[in-house]
Amino acid sequence: MTLLQSLKNFVRSKSIHVAYVDVGSCNGCDVEVLACLAPRYDIEQYGIFVHNNPREADVLLVIGAYTPGWEGKLEGLWEKIPDPKVAVAIGNCPISGCLFNRPHTLVDPPVSKHIPIAAQVPGCPPRPTEILSAILSVAPLVYRDYEVRK
Amino acid sequence: MAISLLYYAQEFLRGEWVKKFLAAKTAPLQIPTYFRNYPELTGKTCTHQLYCMMACPAPGAIDVVMTPDGWMPRIHVGHCIRCGLCVEACPNGVLTSGRILESMFYDNTKLSFSFRIDVDTDKCMGCGNCAVACPVNKLIDAQMSHGGRASTDELLLKVSEGKCQVLHVEKCTGCKTCEHHCPNEAIRVARLLEAVHAPEEEL
Ligand code: SF4
Ligand code: SF4
Ligand code: SF4
Ligand code: SF4
Repeated sequence: MTLLQSLKNFVRSKSIHVAYVDVGSCNGCDVEVLACLAPRYDIEQYGIFVHNNPREADVLLVIGAYTPGWEGKLEGLWEKIPDPKVAVAIGNCPISGCLFNRPHTLVDPPVSKHIPIAAQVPGCPPRPTEILSAILSVAPLVYRDYEVRK
Repeated sequence: MAISLLYYAQEFLRGEWVKKFLAAKTAPLQIPTYFRNYPELTGKTCTHQLYCMMACPAPGAIDVVMTPDGWMPRIHVGHCIRCGLCVEACPNGVLTSGRILESMFYDNTKLSFSFRIDVDTDKCMGCGNCAVACPVNKLIDAQMSHGGRASTDELLLKVSEGKCQVLHVEKCTGCKTCEHHCPNEAIRVARLLEAVHAPEEEL
């Protein structure tokens, strides 16, 4: 590995840009994601920044059970994120539909049917600690030696 | 000028400060031990009474399966919402999560179950699938023929005058088999869970 590459790896590990999208949740997981931004968890010390702009995001947090209104839109949003990118499903909703997945429901989980999901954080809602450790463990796998791997 | 710059540099470039500035980390956050996490097995024997499945509000979160060690509840992560109702519902204390079992012991509470069955008479066509499928009916009248007509009034459900009738709702165990077998979605079973203080046997 070249020196330049190891420098890139180091810098990238300190700059994880996050966007989140709610595709139809009860707001429980949104509140927990917002709690991650609070001083108690202090995400900047891990190098996580939330811009909520897909064009500059590395990690997309997907929240919610995929309501029909998101048909075609979530895929478009995923396309907008530049490579390397990774999507993390937050909560039970994008994994199984949680409590909304009942007979005759309109929601269409799991979200992995629509965009590739790299990690799942189960829980209704998951704790901010669980969300943070998921982001921190999945991000390096995606960015390390990205140019060399290609 | 130069002296004052030097002074500031000396004040602000203390090794300790610079180190803290670059490498300060708060202690990694731990999940507290009292957190009501996914229910775990305590090792007590499950007697397959299925109270956990009756109480669980999340679709597909818990089932009870036969293992080499006997019946065992299985929690499905990704479906379970960590509400802890199965822990409270189990009469044998097979499951545990957070401080639920301790606080139930100290507060002397338990869950009481009752069920309500609603039949939409506009949708019901009197086919009797519900009455034939109901496992409680099966125990009372194993000979019940298709159509759900029966002579005894001890049954939970029966069809009379072309409509399903609920005779003894207190016998219902909330299995929802009738719901799954009704072709018209005419029958609905609602579970009513109440946390009661001081269970009857101690009153
Ligand atoms: S997983 Fe639970 S808390 Fe999160 S959005 Fe779904 S229902 Fe709400
Ligand atoms: S904790 Fe709640 S959701 Fe999870 S299995 Fe038990 S009753 Fe179901
Ligand atoms: S829910 Fe009650 S009425 Fe329906 S099948 Fe089960 S025991 Fe019978
Ligand atoms: S409630 Fe449904 S299953 Fe029962 S008799 Fe009526 S239509 Fe048939």
